[in-house]
Amino acid sequence: MFRNRRNAQRRGGSKNEGELYALTDLAEGEKGIMVKALGGFGLVRRLAEMGLTPGVEVKLLRKGSFGGPVEIEVRGVALALGRGVASRVLVKPSKDEHHD
Amino acid sequence: MSIMTKELRVALAGNANVGKSVIFNQLTGLNQVVGNWPGKTVERAEGTLHFKGYAIRIIDLPGIYSLSTFSIEEIVSRDYIAVEKPDIIVNVVDASALERNLYFTLQLLELEAPIVMALNQVDYAAKKGIRINTEKLSEILGVPVVPTVAITGSGINELLTTVIAVASGEKKLQPLKVKFGVEVEKRVKKLQELVQRRLPQLCEVYPARWVATKLLERDSDVAGKLKNYEGGTEALQLAGKLAAELEKLHGEPSPVILASERYSIASKIAKEVTIVEAPPRISLEQKLDAISTHKILGYPILIGAILAMFSLIFIGGSLFSGFLESFFGNIILHIGNALAFLPSTAQSLITEGVLGGIVAGITIALPYIVPFYIILALLEDSGYLPRAAFLMDNLMHKIGLHGKAFIPLILGYGCSVPACLSCRIMETQRERLLAAFVVTLIPCAARTVVILGLVGRFVGLHAALAIYIFDLILIFILGRIAFKVLPGEPVGLIMEMPPYKKPSFKGVLTKTWSRTKDFVYVAFPIIVAGSLAITALNITGFINYITAGAKPLISGWLGLPVEAGVPLIFGVLRKELALILLSQLIPLESLSALQMIVFALVIMVYIPCIATIAALIREFGWKKATAITITDITLALLLGGIAYRILLILMPS
Ligand SMILES: Nc1nc2c(ncn2[C@@H]2O[C@H](COP(=O)(O)OP(=O)(O)OP(=O)(O)O)[C@@H](O)[C@H]2O)c(=O)[nH]1
Ligand SMILES: [Mg+2]
Repeated sequence: MFRNRRNAQRRGGSKNEGELYALTDLAEGEKGIMVKALGGFGLVRRLAEMGLTPGVEVKLLRKGSFGGPVEIEVRGVALALGRGVASRVLVKPSKDEHHD
Repeated sequence: MSIMTKELRVALAGNANVGKSVIFNQLTGLNQVVGNWPGKTVERAEGTLHFKGYAIRIIDLPGIYSLSTFSIEEIVSRDYIAVEKPDIIVNVVDASALERNLYFTLQLLELEAPIVMALNQVDYAAKKGIRINTEKLSEILGVPVVPTVAITGSGINELLTTVIAVASGEKKLQPLKVKFGVEVEKRVKKLQELVQRRLPQLCEVYPARWVATKLLERDSDVAGKLKNYEGGTEALQLAGKLAAELEKLHGEPSPVILASERYSIASKIAKEVTIVEAPPRISLEQKLDAISTHKILGYPILIGAILAMFSLIFIGGSLFSGFLESFFGNIILHIGNALAFLPSTAQSLITEGVLGGIVAGITIALPYIVPFYIILALLEDSGYLPRAAFLMDNLMHKIGLHGKAFIPLILGYGCSVPACLSCRIMETQRERLLAAFVVTLIPCAARTVVILGLVGRFVGLHAALAIYIFDLILIFILGRIAFKVLPGEPVGLIMEMPPYKKPSFKGVLTKTWSRTKDFVYVAFPIIVAGSLAITALNITGFINYITAGAKPLISGWLGLPVEAGVPLIFGVLRKELALILLSQLIPLESLSALQMIVFALVIMVYIPCIATIAALIREFGWKKATAITITDITLALLLGGIAYRILLILMPS
């Protein structure tokens, strides 16, 4: 069992192109391109059905406190993903991202 | 047109929270649960409607994102669509999230199902600055598309006319043939050819291409069906080989590859028909969203909202309760006088038994129930529930569940029965059971009547709120224990977050009215029967035997007046009945503050009422239902006795 899974090596900041990050590493408001989801067959399929397929742009809307879930926007819909689930979704930096 | 009515089965299918049930209610005049969170409809509902010489059976289905799903409420939908094959499927689509909704539409097209699309929520889409070119969408998909606003009923008639036109053959469908990319398409064709050749019987039930696609995406359900057929193994082998090839090519599991393909088609269609008129502005809803799911502020808001809810119910409830009591007290007196000619036994059976029961129901239960239903409807329709689920995800993991389970929990404050059913939104049987156990411990509206109507009214609101808070702590502790008994890593949270919407006045009113009506129809006969029974026991003196037998437990252990024994037993029928009966045996004011608290505490925890036990049996079987019931009874008696002893020291009267 890994309840309080910590996965916060890097939060936001500039990212190197080509490198992969967990969805949870994005800062609030930051966008990324979904690369792949790690995990069981069922989970990966469910995520794909909800619109999280490789190549799609995702935007991190907010992160819950104390390792809570994250809310993302994908294909015009807001989804809540548990932290464990979100940390298994790998993204790369979005090209048209504006640094502000 | 022939004189005979023709029968038609029309199913409403689509993603969760798009407005299927609102359309169902508009069409049938029935009252299916609607609200602003995904996963309300968990069972299929049916209603009939007569229109232009047709008897149309409308079937409301649970929301579904794909035709290859696991969660039980989604299986209901999939089976109905794929196996029972309604004459027409009305694919209800949320115009403000077209791309995601089209993903499901494409799967219906693959199944070669006869579809009419209801492009719903066009009003909300317009508010977001999105307009959909319906003619073009209809042209691309090859099926009729009717724009609707379900909540106002706009477009519903046209939808119905279109359904009839398609059913009668007046309007022909030319459904889009879904074509995948070259690599996938090549393999689907190969597999399709084999399926057609080797499994002709299966192809009478399902389209060969659909079977081929499902096999290629490693759908275990369709694979299971194949086992019964000669030639099935061959098809499975080829499917496995082809899927592996694809997976090697793309580096993804095959269902993900097919999902990607469908999404890229959906995305292309959506782009083609969507006209973004105005960039969405930061609206009030978005600000509300940001603050109510805020990392820190979200929690005090959640707690504040719940406390405010009970305070409001209490204020409204005690106001009405007092008013109604003085009003009906007089009426009863007059009726009693008018019945003076009857023998005294009959007289007391009528005035105390029947009338007393009805009046107690009206003055004790209804004043709290109605404000409660109003507030619950507001909560449900606003879209706050999924936000609360988001905030609570973390804490729910500590009791082996995830955030979504918080929704049945909150619904449990209304009534445990629908709350137990809504535990079906949880993904696994283990989680459903855990969630249902927790739900039985949440004080439902009937228990709120006891807590607010007894403790709140006579001891003070603070004491009543303390009971609610104590309950939450108790639930957390018990949840942790139950988690230890039923260990397992909870499935992670994956939930759509619908936008906030202003609850409509009419919607809240209809919901409150229909729930109140149900309450009166279900509860009042039981209340009257219970009241009659206790009056009869009283007159005959039988009550003394029961009271004497229960005395050691009721007075000795729980410190309650002996008269409380019988009402507590009758509480199995309905929780508020216990208070009503107690009020008929002794004046409620005669209880000490301590006794009121213990009584409320015992009622809150002990046995879910029979309706809930029945729901538990239906959902989990009688063994688990019995286990939950026994746990709850033991716990209630244990806690009641301990609380009595502790409070005796804390609050010497
Ligand atoms: N603005 C707007 N809101 C709508 C419309 N139709 C439905 N809604 C709202 O959308 C929410 C969901 O409606 P339901 O009918 O309960 O959705 P459903 O598809 O049955 O949902 P599930 O049973 O959970 O799958 C409710 O809050 C409705 O008030 C519409 O045309 N316009
Ligand atoms: Mg519904």
